[in-house]
Amino acid sequence: MTKHNKHWLVLLAFALVLILAACGGSTIPEDVVTEGDKGIDGEAATDTDQEIIYAATSDAVGLSPILTNDSVSSNVISQVYETLFVRNPETMEIEPKLAESYETPDDLTWVIELKEGIEFHDGTPFNAEAVKYTFDKLRDPATAAPRASLLEPVESVNVIDEKTVEIKTKYPYGPMLAALSHTNASIVSPTADQAQDLMQDPVGTGPFQFVSWTPGESVVLEDFGNYWDGAPELDKVTLRVVPEVSTAISMLQAGEVSFLDGLPSDQIDRIRSLENVEVTEQPGTPVYYMLFNFEKERFQDPELRKAMAAAMNRDVFVENLNGLGVRSDSIIGPKLFGYTEEADDAGQDYDPDLAQQLVEENGFGEEPIKMLVANRDNYMQMAEIAQAQLTEAGFNVEIETMEWGTFLDATSAGKYDVTFLGWSNVTGDGSELLYPNFHTDNVGASNRSAYSNPEFDELVDASRTTVDQEERRQYLVEANKLLLDENVAVVMNHGVVTAATADNVKGLKLDPNGQWSLENVTRE
Amino acid sequence: MVALVVRRFFQLAFLLLGISFLVFASMYIAPGDPAAIIGGPTASESDVEAIRDNLGLNDPFLVQYGRYVSNAVQGDLGYSYQTSQPVWDAILVRFPNTLKLAIASMIVAVIIGIITGLVSALRQNSLLDVSATTFALAGISIPNFWLGAVLILIFSVNLQWLPVGGMSNPWYTLDGIKELILPAITLGTASAAIIARMARSSMLEVIQADYVRTARAKGVKESSVIWIHTLKNAMIPIITVIGLNFGFLLGGTIITEKVFAINGVGRLMIDAIAARDFPMVQGSVLLVAALFVFVNLIVDIIYTYIDPRISFD
Repeated sequence: MTKHNKHWLVLLAFALVLILAACGGSTIPEDVVTEGDKGIDGEAATDTDQEIIYAATSDAVGLSPILTNDSVSSNVISQVYETLFVRNPETMEIEPKLAESYETPDDLTWVIELKEGIEFHDGTPFNAEAVKYTFDKLRDPATAAPRASLLEPVESVNVIDEKTVEIKTKYPYGPMLAALSHTNASIVSPTADQAQDLMQDPVGTGPFQFVSWTPGESVVLEDFGNYWDGAPELDKVTLRVVPEVSTAISMLQAGEVSFLDGLPSDQIDRIRSLENVEVTEQPGTPVYYMLFNFEKERFQDPELRKAMAAAMNRDVFVENLNGLGVRSDSIIGPKLFGYTEEADDAGQDYDPDLAQQLVEENGFGEEPIKMLVANRDNYMQMAEIAQAQLTEAGFNVEIETMEWGTFLDATSAGKYDVTFLGWSNVTGDGSELLYPNFHTDNVGASNRSAYSNPEFDELVDASRTTVDQEERRQYLVEANKLLLDENVAVVMNHGVVTAATADNVKGLKLDPNGQWSLENVTRE
Repeated sequence: MVALVVRRFFQLAFLLLGISFLVFASMYIAPGDPAAIIGGPTASESDVEAIRDNLGLNDPFLVQYGRYVSNAVQGDLGYSYQTSQPVWDAILVRFPNTLKLAIASMIVAVIIGIITGLVSALRQNSLLDVSATTFALAGISIPNFWLGAVLILIFSVNLQWLPVGGMSNPWYTLDGIKELILPAITLGTASAAIIARMARSSMLEVIQADYVRTARAKGVKESSVIWIHTLKNAMIPIITVIGLNFGFLLGGTIITEKVFAINGVGRLMIDAIAARDFPMVQGSVLLVAALFVFVNLIVDIIYTYIDPRISFD
């Protein structure tokens, strides 16, 4: 054999290795694609009868309600698992789901009666033991659950009998039902949790059961025949990861996917113009606002905050959202528990003359204001419009943009003057907005503006520790008014939740918190 | 050649150690707390602290790095902070897609690039040459995301000949080939342009060499002059460019993978960086570095075949 021939053989071997690596299914570990490779095949990609393909811009992080806290994971989790209570998306009232009823014999005790005859996808019966197991695991510091704080006020969870569970709290906990209707408080199968990793292989009581997950590519679910509330019409649900929104829209147009949500305002006109596509838009729970850094002395000056609020014409910004924003001054938005209509215009009105006058009188324009902005969602657009309007009033505003991870760090460390943030509010409860974002307890963590006001704290505490819901509402109304009077945050807009579906998809239920239910969806 | 391979493997070991340190250190210094990102803005301080503890992020830098290296040499690249999935598994799921895309794009690039370069060199300054050079310039200048979006609009949305995105079918099936066409063209065009320019200049240089003139004077057929005497001798710089480009493509092509919804290594890496998923960033960077060394090794071996004067023994 000549030297050249040897070289050829080596090359051939390398090429073979490369090609085998490229094509061999064996390179995918068995445990990653569970229960066989059921990724999107040619058939699935073209939408079969009772199937829905949902395009998500990112992959789920995991499929355990206890260990995740991102919206894509929640979207899958809420099809597979269920909570004891749910907020009715139309009435916004909390109703029992896996629970049958509840009572509060005293302010520290919640006795919850569970529905009977329900089983998890693995056949484990749903009972008080399962509820106790789930909540104890969520609360256990060793679990390191991202939303352990949901059940922080809980002292103990006790099994009374097969279908009755008792929750004892350390102090009266007003938002208990809202916390129990949060996706992160979904009930998991104890048997499955001990046998397998629910992050990869979830087992709940929901209308759909898990089939497979190819990380970065797709999650496949199928209908659960024994679902307690009647099996869903859809046979198969596929979440397909499509990171680029314009690609997802093209896929919807070409029929490769049948459902998108969270439509961006800069693409909404294109989507509305598509034939055979139905767009659903409705006011939602998210709120977006400008925050001041109260750690810096100058922002404790109410006149400065008033001047900035007066300089900002938020109608202009909302108009720019192409219908995907609701204008209201209120921090507690129209879809939240604790909202009142009076709060809509209770904030500082747009008054450029007043702003200019305050700037001139106090010399607010002398020191530059650092506006820190995360380069995602609509924050850049908010910042640009706000900068233009503030500059007009005489302020000297410098924008600094950052990617999300760095931004979270910088805002936690107080390295900004003003910034923009949003809050999606899964539970739809005002306490769940005011406590994390503005209460003194959370300064240095989720209260990124470091606002601290004992009077406000008292009202929020009362809203959290009062079990009577009407009384709670009053406390929230007052707390909200206090924030508006002091211009603690300048609300840019309240969110509009959106979905675009192929026009033969019927029965999609869109929740104001942006989540959705496929339980009653059919393809016609 | 055995010596070359052994030497490269030693180099690779040191290279990977160096890279792992650099990546680890830069991720450690970079702002952004993985625990805060996992917890999300709604997590309380105690929630975030519990996550941080759980991931071992409160340990000193050297302890964390030492733990990583000692696991890595035993083949354990760790678990993703975000998904708790083994890093190696996450990479293995995505790498075949990146490899398929890289090979398909290189096929497009090599075919278009060499033919264009050859034709324009042989017809220097003709209309054909000008068109080919213009094509090369356009290929380099057009951004991938724009070309990708335009191709999707024409061939997937309007004509409905090819799928918009995804890469989940085996490459040897019709669906698999259809999935590859648009991304391969999008990605291959830029490489084709670079190869074409290199092929043109390299051919022009060789074509004027004395031995080519001698071959022609001896009455050798023009096709033999071009294919045997010219092209083969012009191949060294072309192969170098192809090798480098292939190495880059194997590192994942973030934009093309994103536009065509391909589950590849580039996207894995960029998502991991955004989430400060240190083990995942480490794992994918190490893989890319190793592949680059591997591809360069192959290029070196090809040199010895093309030009017998080159020897590594």
